[in-house]
Amino acid sequence: MIEFSDVGLRYGNGPEILKDLNFFIEPGSFHFLTGPSGSGKTSLLRMLLLALKPNRGRVTMFGEDVGNLDQDSLLQMRRHIGIVFQEFRLLDHLTTFENVALPLRVLGQAESEYRPNVIELLEWVGLGERMHALPTLLSGGEKQRAAIARAVIARPKVLLADEPTGNVDPELSSRLVHLFAELNRTLGMTIILATHELPLLDRFSYPRMVLNKGELAIHD
Amino acid sequence: MIRQLLALLPRRVGAAPIVPEKSVAGRTLLLLITIMAFLSAVTLGGVVLVQKSAIAWSSDVGRELTIQIRPVEGEVMESNLRTAVSLAQSTPGVAGARALSLEESQALLEPWLGSGLDLSAIAIPRLIVVQLSDPADADIEQLQNNLLAINGASLDTHAAWRQQLNTMAGTMVLSGLLVLGLIGVATVLAIIFATRGAMASNREIVDVLHFIGASNRFIAGEFQGRFLSIGLQGGLLGTVLAILFFAIIGVAAGSVLPSEATAQVGVLFGQFLLGWDGIFIILLVVPVIAALTAITSRLAVRRYLSEAS
Repeated sequence: MIEFSDVGLRYGNGPEILKDLNFFIEPGSFHFLTGPSGSGKTSLLRMLLLALKPNRGRVTMFGEDVGNLDQDSLLQMRRHIGIVFQEFRLLDHLTTFENVALPLRVLGQAESEYRPNVIELLEWVGLGERMHALPTLLSGGEKQRAAIARAVIARPKVLLADEPTGNVDPELSSRLVHLFAELNRTLGMTIILATHELPLLDRFSYPRMVLNKGELAIHD
Repeated sequence: MIRQLLALLPRRVGAAPIVPEKSVAGRTLLLLITIMAFLSAVTLGGVVLVQKSAIAWSSDVGRELTIQIRPVEGEVMESNLRTAVSLAQSTPGVAGARALSLEESQALLEPWLGSGLDLSAIAIPRLIVVQLSDPADADIEQLQNNLLAINGASLDTHAAWRQQLNTMAGTMVLSGLLVLGLIGVATVLAIIFATRGAMASNREIVDVLHFIGASNRFIAGEFQGRFLSIGLQGGLLGTVLAILFFAIIGVAAGSVLPSEATAQVGVLFGQFLLGWDGIFIILLVVPVIAALTAITSRLAVRRYLSEAS
């Protein structure tokens, strides 16, 4: 599903911050992406989100060489990828329901069409009672569940999460990872979850992609 | 009152707008477009007033000719006057001709010579006012030739006055249109800067929309809808204020100026009355400003997005 071959990335004329990345992600798998701060986790996630192009090497996603795609094809491919951020990035002037429905509006669906699906998903993530609340009135855990719901509402094939547990307490962190695991198990979504919380990783047996000084090692 | 007017505008139904309706950038742009629409509408109204007055005045002056009989030694003035009147009346296209009486002629000189003077001893030129039924069909050349038979007679068609009036009115209309064009250019530039400001302040929304797979076309459409709404509101507000401005000026001119001055101003500017056709022309500012805002902001947004990506 995702294959990196000899990929290197640098910003401008600076040193390479990601070096010789070689890995293959199976469809329906779950990987943790970990490493110290500044090791390049976010840059790798941005490459996986197609927001950054590598300076060298080849990235293949869904069977296509990303380097050969034009803007429209990249946009279409990006719609198969969901993303969750540490800082939630919900739009504060829209309700929880409207935030979660946003990807479907972008796809051109009418509200009557997507409303039942959004309500069902909100209830599934435990936000059924909070769907009309603005994000400013939600707790950290609720915001992150809303952000996860927004990322998966359009049923992406790949779900990326950049430190999704960074703004919640350890107990809630564990519950959020269980939520990702549930999405992986029930919907068959490929998940790459970036975190630097080692105690959290120890509670789950998923393979780990460890970045250190721009170099990647995978521990199954 | 502004809020009540805005409440009359159609509201979006269905899903909430992705670009927030109330923002500092939005309010600034609304104020700016209201001012530009007001200036455009006032300029356009001024052009309409000048144009209408010039047409009316030119038409009035064009329907009238003046025959002047200068006193010439050996000629009998009253006899010449009667001949000239009958020549004028027999000319095709003339509705009527009337010689001004001696008293009327003396009254015309009063502004220059003062009142109370006995002018009976002085031979003064006499005037005959000729009203035309149709200026296009009147055979003025024939009348001019016929008048050659009367010693001291001359015909004034007011052509020089009309020419001057038309030139002045044309200059004012052209100047007004030039000002209108400059206001349009200033509006476009201001909208571009305001749009870029609005885009920068809504950067988070643009980023999130990009991350969830929105195309630049979709994002531009969302912002364009918002800017079209601002353009409509600003255009309507500015235009309504301009119509109120003309109404107030019209009332104020009638009540502040003395009646003689009002009459004179009225001759020049038609009592500041725009008329329904004038109001209709001014109302055209609303769709023009709205379209200008929507098109300019769309181009600015597309440019911003292509630079950002």
